[in-house]
This record gives sequence, C-alpha cells and structure tokens, in this order.
Amino acid sequence: MSFSFLIRRLAYGLVLMLGVVVLNFLLIRLAPGDPAVVIAGEMGGATEEMLQSIRAEYGLDQPVLTQLWIYISNVAQGDLGQSYFFNQPVASLIGQRLGPTILLVLVAQLLSILLGVFLGVIAARKPNGPLSAFVSVFSTLGYAVPVFWTGIMLIILFASTFPIFPVEGMASVRLRDAAWYVRGLDVIHHLVLPAFTLAIIYLAQYARLSRASMMEVLGSDYIRTARAKGAGERSVLFRHALRNAALPILTVAGLQFGNLISGSLLVETVYNWPGMGRLAFDSILRRDYPTIMGGAVLCLCHGGGGQYPHRSELSAGRSAAAGPGMSGIRTTGPRRRGAAAAGQEGANPLCAPGGGAFTPGIFQARKRAG
Amino acid sequence: MSALLEIEDLRVTFRTRYGEVTALDSVSLQVNAGETLGIVGESGCGKSITALSVMGLIPSPPGKIAGGSIRLNGEELIGVSPARMRALRGSDVAMIFQEPMTSLNPVFTVGDQIAEAIMLHQKVSPDQAFRDAVALLDRVGIPSPDRRARDYPHQLSGGMRQRVMIAMAVSCRPKVLIADEPTTALDVTVQAQIFDLLNEIQRDFGAAIMLITHDMGAISEMADRVAVMYAGRVIETATADDVLDLPQHPYARGLIDCIPTLGRADHALKEIPGVVPPLHLLGKGCAFADRCAYKFDRCDAEKPLLTDHGRHPVACHGAEEGRI
Ligand SMILES: Nc1ncnc2c1ncn2[C@@H]1O[C@H](COP(=O)(O)OP(=O)(O)OP(=O)(O)O)[C@@H](O)[C@H]1O
Ligand SMILES: [Mg+2]
Repeated sequence: MSFSFLIRRLAYGLVLMLGVVVLNFLLIRLAPGDPAVVIAGEMGGATEEMLQSIRAEYGLDQPVLTQLWIYISNVAQGDLGQSYFFNQPVASLIGQRLGPTILLVLVAQLLSILLGVFLGVIAARKPNGPLSAFVSVFSTLGYAVPVFWTGIMLIILFASTFPIFPVEGMASVRLRDAAWYVRGLDVIHHLVLPAFTLAIIYLAQYARLSRASMMEVLGSDYIRTARAKGAGERSVLFRHALRNAALPILTVAGLQFGNLISGSLLVETVYNWPGMGRLAFDSILRRDYPTIMGGAVLCLCHGGGGQYPHRSELSAGRSAAAGPGMSGIRTTGPRRRGAAAAGQEGANPLCAPGGGAFTPGIFQARKRAG
Repeated sequence: MSALLEIEDLRVTFRTRYGEVTALDSVSLQVNAGETLGIVGESGCGKSITALSVMGLIPSPPGKIAGGSIRLNGEELIGVSPARMRALRGSDVAMIFQEPMTSLNPVFTVGDQIAEAIMLHQKVSPDQAFRDAVALLDRVGIPSPDRRARDYPHQLSGGMRQRVMIAMAVSCRPKVLIADEPTTALDVTVQAQIFDLLNEIQRDFGAAIMLITHDMGAISEMADRVAVMYAGRVIETATADDVLDLPQHPYARGLIDCIPTLGRADHALKEIPGVVPPLHLLGKGCAFADRCAYKFDRCDAEKPLLTDHGRHPVACHGAEEGRI
C-alpha cells in the first residue's frame, strides 16, 4: 500500500463518514417521536411548559440544520455529546458497553468457526453420508431461523425446562463482591447461551463453506500423495486438507465479523446483555438522539473509515498469513477455490440462499445500514 | 520363484453416467525383485488405475476393485484392513505421481513433507527425520539441500519437485517403487536426468520399479520387461528387447513405429490412426479392431486373450492365426 493510496482512502473515508453522519442525523429527526415527551414521560407526565423547557435545555428547539452543525462540530472535536436518557457522556457510555459486546462477538465467532469447521470437515469426508445431510439441513435451518427465535427457544429450554444457564444479563448481582475468578466464571456461565445463540447462524455458514472447501481440497493431488505416504485419515483431513481449505474460511470469517456485530444487537436484546446492541436498542426506543448517533459513528469507524478493503485484497493478505507457502499461488489458488466453493454451494439445493455471504456488495450495504 | 508383486486378473470398474464401465479387465502383471517393469499404452488405457490399485488408492466411489488379486511379497492386498494398507503404503510400496506440480502440499515445506513420510513408518525423532530428509534431498541431486528443505513447493521448479517426490517415495526404502509417468510434465533435458536418477536409486536401494510411461525411448533405456496396455487390458508382455525388436500386436508395432530414430530425418514418423474407444463403448470384440489394418471377422466377434503363440504372450487373433 503506497502512501498516496492511504491518503486517498482516508480522504474518501472522511467524506463518506460525513455523509453518513448527516444522513443518519436527518433520518432520526424524520422518524416520529419526540425525545422531550419521552424524557418528560420518564419524569412522570408533563405540561407543555415543561416540554418547552426540556427542548430548550437539550437544544431541541433550534432549527434542525443548526442542531446538525453543532453536532458535527462537536464530533469533529471528539465530543459525542450527552445522553438524554442515561445522563452521562455518550463516549463513556459506549466505552462501558463496548467491552461486553466485543466479548460476546469474539466468543461467538470462535465458537462458530470451531464447531462449524469441524462439522464441515466431517461432512466433507462422506459428501453423500447421513452426517453430510444433517449438516446441510442444520445449516439451512440455522441460517433461516431468526436469531431471536433461537434465543427464545433456548431460554425456554434452559430457563424453565432445564434451568442450568442464566438467561439474563452478564453477571449475578449476588457475586458482586466475590473473588475475581468467581466473577470470571460467572461471566462465562452467563455467556454460554447468548454466545451459542449468536454462533448458530454463523456456525451454519462455516459448516457449509468448509464442507464445500474441503470437498474441493480432498480431490487434489497432494491429498492423494499424503495417503500414498501412509498418512492416517485424521492427519489427511485435519493436517493436510484443512490447512488448504482454511483460506476461503478465513476470508469469510473476516467479512463475517461485521455481520456478527449487527447480529449481536438482537441477541443482546433477547438476553439483556449489557453491550452496544442493547444500548442501541434502548436509545432508539427512547429517542436518545446523541447515543443513537454515537453508535452510528462508532460503526463507521469500525468499518475502517467507512470502507472495507476489497475482498480479494483481504483474501490475499489472509492467505499470506495462513501459510508463507501460499504467497506464490495466491493469485489463482485461494480465489479460484473460493469461487468454486461458492459455486458448489449454489448447486446444492439443500443450501440456504446464502450467496449474500460471498457478495461483498450486499454485505457492505447491510453493514453500513447497521 | 514367486514374484515380488503379482497382479492377477485384476478388474476395476467405475460408476459413470454411462453406467458401470470396466477400466481394467483381467490385468495380470508381475514385477520381480530388483527389476524394472515398463508399462506402456495410450492415454486412458488404465496405467494409472493399475498403479493406484496396487497402492489401494482407487477413488471409491466411483471406483471399485471388482475382482482379481494383488499380492505383495505373497501378502494379498485386496480386502486387507485399512490400517495394514496404510502401514504398507509408503514403506513397502511407494509411488511417484504423474503431476509433480500439484502433488506436493503447498502449505508445508518440502523437508517437512519428506520427514512426515519417514516418521509415519520409522520411530525417529522429528529432528532426526528432518536431517534424513535433507540427506535424501542431497541424494536426489538437489543443490544446497538444507536450505531447499525449508522451501515451499512453489519455490521449486517442476524437475526439483519431481526429485522431491522421488526422495519422499524412497525415504523408507520401498520394495516396489511405482513411477507413474514421472517425466511427462517435465522438459526433455530434465526427463533424462530423472530417468538417470531412477536408475541410480534402483541400484542403491534395490527397489523393483514399475515404470509407467508412453515414452518408448524410456522403455528401451530403463525397462527389463514390458507390458503393453490397451483399453484396460494387457495386450502384450515380454522382455523389453523382445517387444522392441519383435512386437506381435499391431498396436505394439504401431507404438514402436512411432519412435523417432536419430539420424533418419527423412524417415517419416508414423502414427496409429484413430483413437482409443471410450470405455462405455467397448464391444465384445477386440478393442483395437477398428484401428487395426489386419482386422478380420473374428476380431469383432470375440475378445482375444493373452496367450503365448510361440514368441511371447500377446492378445491378438491375427498373431494367433499367423496372419500378421
Ligand atoms: N474417477 C474416475 N471416474 C470414471 N472413470 C475413471 C476415473 N478415473 C479413471 N477413469 C477411467 O479409467 C481409465 C483409465 O484411466 P488411467 O488414469 O489409468 O489412464 P492412464 O493410462 O493413466 O492415462 P494417462 O496416460 O493419460 O495417464 C480412463 O479411461 C478413465 O476413463
Ligand atoms: Mg495416468
């Protein structure tokens, strides 16, 4: 990456960011609902006078364009404003909520990759076997079923039928003063259901993807060579094949990360997990403009100045990371394989219409909206 | 004396969209200790399938060994347990593949790949295995082997990769080494070097070699005995000299007429007209009949069997009736 390339990308990112901030700002104002009414409602009913004074206090009586200008100049100085509802600076609010979301998303990502790839690998061994069919059906279901439904089903299962996992929040209040490792275990205990719920959708996608990718790799000459050496089945699958099949999986894993964050919004809401998604949900319900905007700005920053690197750049970088040996063939290898994997998916009638996962355009649109 | 490797009446079928086709039909071959058996024949005649059957590596499905027997050192390989087959593969019988460019795993160094083969069959430490791998790379003529051992396959040329494959194949001193067209993907100067290397390896390691090729020149250089295959059958087998000097089967003659002779530039190269019929279109007669200049009624009616009509075994009605 040359220097001028970076500058250009940064400038582009800034312009894009400005555009999205303006658009979001106006969109939120267009939506019905008045924050003053909500705030007043929280305080227990209100007269027109009180509403007026609240509006004046929060600057909501100014013309929208003036409000926009004040907001942009504040953001430019790093000030995201004060939350109407939580009554604290939006930046510190986000600071508190970011950690739990990152924890949830990382654990879900890890779970979905590990389990998904494992299922995919096993299924690829016998593409026509019962396990392979199970993976296909499970993938379709996992992908098609809405995450809040899975969440609610798991809550019913593990809160009333077999009450073994907590289904609310991130930590037990009664353990507030316990030793750090007790609290750590408590968080893990609380994490099980939300992480698994979030992992299920993506797990299914990884299973499909790694199944296709593995099937392709298992047909290659070097796998035959490994068998000809006398390598055992496990070594062939997990050592020789998986390392090569990992390239498209890693590529998608990187792209999927943004999707996971938007998915976490729903999961956090279902499980009352104190993260960014829950915060966004609450602040939208309460017309807490500064917090909503703060969340949007954060999403933009996450997007790398509002623009994702092109998919092939990403895959090239990742394939270099996966193994130095790949750098020589990366011009054809990983991309061709990725495409073939996607193609095979398309040919499988059992697979969900999940082509979107491979389409950077759709992905980016979805990401920016969220 | 019984042979080191004995293939008898081997039949391999593939399930295809044309139904079940027979890729190998009553193939019988023998390889004796220390000798080189050449297998020649046109593309698609079943040479690789024969080799893969010995290795127990027929892709299944769609492939299936439908009958016959393969004995290595007297031990039957068909129907043997997968664990036993794994133990034999790479140690007693090893194979060099047709495609050096794609037969090495791109994400491991070549040294590691050879060391893996060693560790699968010998109780040695990883360090020792790697040192052995470097020594083998040196043995197969790779310059600065300790540096090359840390290279990935894409950093090596095709000839180098094939040397690596050879090093890997001989790493456990196999009794039988199958070389499936080890040089087709390489350029001519490298081809000669690889054949020289195989000759040396055979001398040093005492392995029997099953050399698959369509290069009759290589046969005359390397092979002690030759089996000529056509459409999934062995149609002629004899010592290399016999086949080269007195080929019986019209197809074998054709093959030998195809060899360009040095210093006879005026001599137009011949070719065998027509192509091998696809497996699913094989009739009940001789598979070569449609391309044969000596064809007569019987050729379309019944399949000739491999029988000795005086000189050496050949599967041809014409040769049997003395018409050729
Ligand atoms: N996976 C498969 N499915 C169906 N048919 C197959 C399969 N593999 C091989 N065959 C058939 O078996 C026959 C023999 O193939 P084989 O690879 O042994 O040929 P070959 O003699 O090695 O040719 P070449 O010189 O091109 O390597 C071919 O005609 C092919 O149609
Ligand atoms: Mg072949």
